[in-house]
Amino acid sequence: MEDNSLNMQNGGQMGPQGGSVGNNKQNDEINPKSQYSIPGILHFIQHEWARFELERSQWEVDRAELQARIAFLQGERKGQENLKNDLVRRIKMLEYALKQERAKFHKLKYGTELQQGDMKPPVIDESSESQLDSDQSFVSVSNSTWKQGRQLLRQYLQEIGYTDRIIDVRSTRVRALLGLNNNNADQEDNQNGGGLNANESNKRASETQGRRTPAKKAQPSSLAEAMMLDTEAAVMANLEFLSNTDVDMDDDDDMNDDADIEPGDEIEDDVKMGKKDKMDNDLGLGDDVDAIALEVFNELNRLSEAEKKQDIKTEQGKRAIGINDEDNVDSSLGLGELAQLTVNNDAESTYDIASSKEAFRKTWNAKYTLRSHFDAVRALAFHPTEPVLITASEDHTLKLWNLQKTVPAKKSASLDVEPLYTFRSHTGPVLCLAISGTGEHCYSGGLDGIINCWNVPNSNIDPYDLYEPDILNANLHGHSDAVWGLAVLNSKQYLLSCSADKTVKLWAPHAKQQLLSTYVSEQDGIPSSVDFVRDEPNRIVASYFSLNCVIFDTETGKPVARLESTAADGVNSTARQINKIVCHPTLPLTITAHEDRHIRFWDNHTGKMVHSMVAHLDAVTSLAVDPNGLYLLSGSHDCSIRLWHLDNKTCVQEITAHRKKFDESILDVAFHPSRPYIASAGADGLAKVFV
Amino acid sequence: MSKMKMADGSTILRRNRPGTKAKDFCRWPDEPFEEMDSTLAVQQYIQQLIRRDPNNIDLILKMPESQDEGVWKYEHLRQFCMELNGLAVRLQGECHPETCTQMTATEQWIFLCAAHKTPKECPAIDYTRHTLDGAACLLNSNKYFPSRVSIKESSVAKLGSVCRRVYRIFSHAYFHHRSIFDEFETETCLCKRFTQFVTKYNLMSKDNLIVPILEEENTPGESEA
Ligand SMILES: [Zn+2]
Ligand SMILES: [Zn+2]
Repeated sequence: MEDNSLNMQNGGQMGPQGGSVGNNKQNDEINPKSQYSIPGILHFIQHEWARFELERSQWEVDRAELQARIAFLQGERKGQENLKNDLVRRIKMLEYALKQERAKFHKLKYGTELQQGDMKPPVIDESSESQLDSDQSFVSVSNSTWKQGRQLLRQYLQEIGYTDRIIDVRSTRVRALLGLNNNNADQEDNQNGGGLNANESNKRASETQGRRTPAKKAQPSSLAEAMMLDTEAAVMANLEFLSNTDVDMDDDDDMNDDADIEPGDEIEDDVKMGKKDKMDNDLGLGDDVDAIALEVFNELNRLSEAEKKQDIKTEQGKRAIGINDEDNVDSSLGLGELAQLTVNNDAESTYDIASSKEAFRKTWNAKYTLRSHFDAVRALAFHPTEPVLITASEDHTLKLWNLQKTVPAKKSASLDVEPLYTFRSHTGPVLCLAISGTGEHCYSGGLDGIINCWNVPNSNIDPYDLYEPDILNANLHGHSDAVWGLAVLNSKQYLLSCSADKTVKLWAPHAKQQLLSTYVSEQDGIPSSVDFVRDEPNRIVASYFSLNCVIFDTETGKPVARLESTAADGVNSTARQINKIVCHPTLPLTITAHEDRHIRFWDNHTGKMVHSMVAHLDAVTSLAVDPNGLYLLSGSHDCSIRLWHLDNKTCVQEITAHRKKFDESILDVAFHPSRPYIASAGADGLAKVFV
Repeated sequence: MSKMKMADGSTILRRNRPGTKAKDFCRWPDEPFEEMDSTLAVQQYIQQLIRRDPNNIDLILKMPESQDEGVWKYEHLRQFCMELNGLAVRLQGECHPETCTQMTATEQWIFLCAAHKTPKECPAIDYTRHTLDGAACLLNSNKYFPSRVSIKESSVAKLGSVCRRVYRIFSHAYFHHRSIFDEFETETCLCKRFTQFVTKYNLMSKDNLIVPILEEENTPGESEA
């Protein structure tokens, strides 16, 4: 071919001028008009053939490229179609939910008889019907189609070899589909978001958009940093967290795929984007229109998050942000993003990392509504192991609920549960509640100043069994005014109480000598809340009307540390009062919920405040730390509960959960000690459980 | 929101914050019914009236203008059932299954407990508990009472049977545990309020109102007819 190609050039130039016969090369040069010769013709033919071959091979290359392009486009189309199908399915589900709601409404309006007639029309095709039957099946279906589509795409991409540009194309398209819609939705929400804080939200939303990048940077210094933990520990915690939470995240898998498509070059936005995508998914997953409305509202509220973080940052002032911790946060998030973008990666690892990243953001959805109290639910507590909880209400009663005994009546995302047992003994509102570590006993404190110790009935009893007086195990008399706070120490079967009579009392409720000791801090007045210092079992901490907290040694009865608030000018103490105090399960950290919308964090050793943040739009009333010490749950009179990541103090989720009675809304929140349940108790007489 | 600006510019927040003394519980300035914008306004209003003066039954039962009557009756009945818990707690200490084996008032009737699949002859204390628990379930049922701002007629019709059943708790206490009844009635005026309520809204027939509570009150004023 080498020779030929040389000849070809000559021939190519000469050939057209006249075919020469019987001439050799030299002749060609000397004598352009020489005769045609066989070798010359052969040569020309040879040369022409070679030329065609070259062109053909070029076309081959072009064709291959175009085919690859087609393949890519087809793959993309397939992906888009999957996405479209997914969205269509979700729309159908929404339509179905709407139809259900309409049917429900109709039914309520015109009486039960119409139920059957009305319930039939909304039943769409079997596929969506079966999806509604079980979230699980729906998830797996969409997940497998997604996986197929992605697999296909990945193959095509590997064939072609160029990945980056495609990812860009792909991600911009998908963003055009998802991202733009999101923005529109946001704007609409803002415009429609009438009611109490529409203007505020609007303002915040616009500010947030302007400040997205700084908002991310403004993540407050982490707990670990504040506690002077070294990097390794923090990293370990992160890793542990990633691997642990993996397990519960199965049902969120379909969200990963959406989140996957996020562009990699906008890491600052990812946090936001991810959340938004997720919110969209939630819309699809919740079959309950109420829940959806709440979610939309939540999303609206979420927009104000970033701005709040700004506030926190400025409030933090000069407090340095630990470089290590920021790295932790970024690397964990960043790794997730990168892993998703590396298309050539093994599929499994991509999914794993993606799902653990999603674990960071498990979305809780309302599942059970506990309605049976006649007045505000003041407190609730979960059984340590069973899906059982107890609620305490201003209607003078406590009620026992088994979440596995639901009313099988209606097809709805939110299930009704009927109480199994009603505890009656208090002669006034029941204000606080605690369950022992074995789940055998529960303790309730009331406005009547009495603490009742109950034997918790079996969680499978018949609600209309005969009365057994021994369910009431004992009364602890000793307080002379309302009992507002209770906490249990499982290792010793101790009970701690605080009362408006200014005292904190330590009890051994099942011992002969029940009252162990009484703690008073004259200078601080009435205690509002108490807890055991979890990492030092012979310490207790109480919050007082003075806005200070005092840590007592239970053995000596002496205060060993004070967590002191600096007085603010012109603000009375009621407006800043501490509504709830909880201790971290493993760290020397105390967390307080304040009437002035703040959550504050304290170092038990130094007594110094290590962090303070505006956490809600109204008074924060309740706090709960998850058993692993990673999340904080807060409830507020702003009608919402918020879930916080303790490490970086960012809000992971907000749920509007209860309505107001007078100026109160949410009065208590709780984590289940061993199962994925959270719950909220409201002034509207309801308790809600989220899964 | 039910906030009220005070003269000094601070806002009244009607809250029972942790640490509030029992005597200060719910002790906040009244809020006019028209200014209550909560979905629980009727409950708030009724409780506010009761706290102000439980003896002023006429005022407590006086329905605000343009109020939906179904909701008004429903919220009152919720409040009755809630306050009846107080009577049930007192009865628990004295009304034992051994002594009060059946739910009776006068000897005329034995009441069967309707909380069970087939009505049962529950002892009085269990009848009391089951009836209150059943009422709590019914009045909070998502099926019959999904909303607290509007109630369909077919559900309003259920209120009468709840009234009839819970009234038997009053009558049992009155005829069998008189000291408990009197003590409770002095404190709350609950039976009197209940009797006036069911009479006013025609929820029970007069024949069934066997606790002679209104007559007692009326005797001194009116000439005995
Ligand atoms: Zn009796
Ligand atoms: Zn019964």
